[in-house]
Amino acid sequence: MTDRLFPAQEIGSLAKPRWQLLGQRGEALDDAAKAEFRLWDERCSFAAELPALRDALLAGRTREVDPEAVRDLGALFALRLLETAGLDRVYDGEARRIEMYEHPIRQMRGFHFQGHVRSFDNKYYLKAAVTDEVQLEHPYHVEEFDFVKRHAHATPKLPITGPYTLADWSYNEYYLARQPGWKGPSARRAAQREFVVDLARRALRPTIKALIEHGCRVIQIDEPAAGTHPDEAALVVEGFNAATEGFDAEFSMHICYSDYRALLPELLEAKGCRQWAWEFANRDSPGHDGYEVLSALAEYGDTREVGLGVVDVHRDTVETPEVVAERIRRACRYLGDPRRVWVNPDCGLRTRSLPVARAKLEAVVQGAARARADFENPRR
Amino acid sequence: MQVHAGLTGPYPRPEALIQATRDLDRGRTNAEAVEALFRTTEQEVVALERRLGFDHVTAGFLRWPDLFRPFAETWEGLAVGPLTRWLETNTFFRQPILLAPPGRSERAFAARLPPPLLAQPHSARLILPGPYTFASVLDNRSGETDEAVIHRLGRMLADEVRELRGAGFASFLFSEPLLVVRPPEGPRAEAVLAGYRAIQTAVNGGTSTVWTYGADARPAFPLLDRLPVSSVGIDLAETDVERLPEGPPSSGLGLGVVDPRTTLGEDAVEVAQVVRAAYERRRPASVSLGPGGPLDLLPWDPATRKLGVLLEVLHALGEGGRP
Repeated sequence: MTDRLFPAQEIGSLAKPRWQLLGQRGEALDDAAKAEFRLWDERCSFAAELPALRDALLAGRTREVDPEAVRDLGALFALRLLETAGLDRVYDGEARRIEMYEHPIRQMRGFHFQGHVRSFDNKYYLKAAVTDEVQLEHPYHVEEFDFVKRHAHATPKLPITGPYTLADWSYNEYYLARQPGWKGPSARRAAQREFVVDLARRALRPTIKALIEHGCRVIQIDEPAAGTHPDEAALVVEGFNAATEGFDAEFSMHICYSDYRALLPELLEAKGCRQWAWEFANRDSPGHDGYEVLSALAEYGDTREVGLGVVDVHRDTVETPEVVAERIRRACRYLGDPRRVWVNPDCGLRTRSLPVARAKLEAVVQGAARARADFENPRR
Repeated sequence: MQVHAGLTGPYPRPEALIQATRDLDRGRTNAEAVEALFRTTEQEVVALERRLGFDHVTAGFLRWPDLFRPFAETWEGLAVGPLTRWLETNTFFRQPILLAPPGRSERAFAARLPPPLLAQPHSARLILPGPYTFASVLDNRSGETDEAVIHRLGRMLADEVRELRGAGFASFLFSEPLLVVRPPEGPRAEAVLAGYRAIQTAVNGGTSTVWTYGADARPAFPLLDRLPVSSVGIDLAETDVERLPEGPPSSGLGLGVVDPRTTLGEDAVEVAQVVRAAYERRRPASVSLGPGGPLDLLPWDPATRKLGVLLEVLHALGEGGRP
């Protein structure tokens, strides 16, 4: 924990570097991958910690290396990229995960993958159907957390996909088929509730328990689907509480691209949630104040921390530190207390190139420094 | 009374096309190879639609990034904005930004239509955004009131329809989920009606369908029953048939009977019973069946299985699809 205003944190995934993808597949690094490796090693100094692996990769002896070791190096790279950008809370860029949905679903029984569905443009995700009762194979994310814990200089913050999002991004066959008669609105609602609660109790809860036993203290429950069905906000909360209740850790909830007002006040019943980590920058543009929605928290008297999205992860244009600082100042006016504000990208930076991601993270840190200076010396 | 069936929204891309478009983004293939695959796949969708006996084909609208982008990119006064969630799904669209009263360039939009439809316009069903949904999702910075924008978009869509009618197209489906998700009232409802009056004039002897989905249609029926169109579709995963308003509507009835939000297959006999129940309550002049929402919420294989259910339902309804 940091005592200064506007500490900075990551939110989720980073793009995997080309050298990692080639290395994991046992393919020799081409010139571009080698150049990328050397460039980032100069900037973040990550490879010296695993010199034999570095030498093997750069010498083209990729077939000699263990793919797991390449993933380790990928995780170390992401960790150092985030740390040297100046973040206070870091993780491994989800270097070992396929992505935030497929990875956890593959740790469970009861699901069958059906194929890819378009998210937007030429971006897709693999979607599964739940065809049997949810069963956890084994707690997941534990090994990756252990690695981060061993190597991190800053505080690790682990992101884990929440039960509501896992359910919403799956096709509900098993629980819907159990509903009698025509699968109309009420049958679908009842089936979804059973599915979310089963995921929370049978998959999320044992995983979070294991993570805490391994020393994980800061956990971000990712619920990007929370805004998908505003009338199910209470179910988002029921899933969150079922997964986290009684655990001694610092929980936050990440939501993005949603109408947050529509989720209130139900969302406020997430009792163990200490911080809302939400996207704002994507909706902030000249003539449209993307941070105004924060006033809704004030209206309900909610005084939790806010992880403030200050850079848009869907555009390559890098925000200037002044733009970031202005967004922070504006958010503080809505929230009242600057001590409640953390700063972060809107969402995971996976869709941006590594140079753009890094530049945006630096803008977050530098913008926070400017805003901090303003608050410490308001006459500047 | 005959029952018809057809697609009511975009169809999913198959895995090979998905991989090709990913490869294109990553520089691993070229645009010509991807274009060739688009054309092959469009023909495949058309063949599937014909095999299922659909009156009109759509070719799946596989190329469009979202329902609004072809207009946001070809109409003057519009710009492409930020990624925005498409209703209650994990799919996103780029929000159109209306910067000034819009204008259209002749033939600019038509060039975005799937090539198989341009080749055979008489058998095509064009899927277009409805004026109310279009106006509701855009970021209106034009200074015009929302009512004026709804009416204006209706007139502009009518101009597109008029041009397309001249090119031989005759069947138009307007995707209007917002009519039931956020039913308009008062002046906004009147603007919707004015917009569709302009469209219906342009349709001029062709068929116009308004297709709603994503919410219970019942609160919107007072307006839906006044729409001057050939047919109005509702989503039966969201709307309880037993509580549909009684009485003959002025237009035909569309029923979204397969649900693209689950891979769980519908039982054709059960669906046929629901169709009969809907027919008994509404007594429409015609009935058309389709997916309750866009099938591209499913991967290709489950979507194709769902589409097959429509044919089974027609069989279950009896020879010729009579309820």
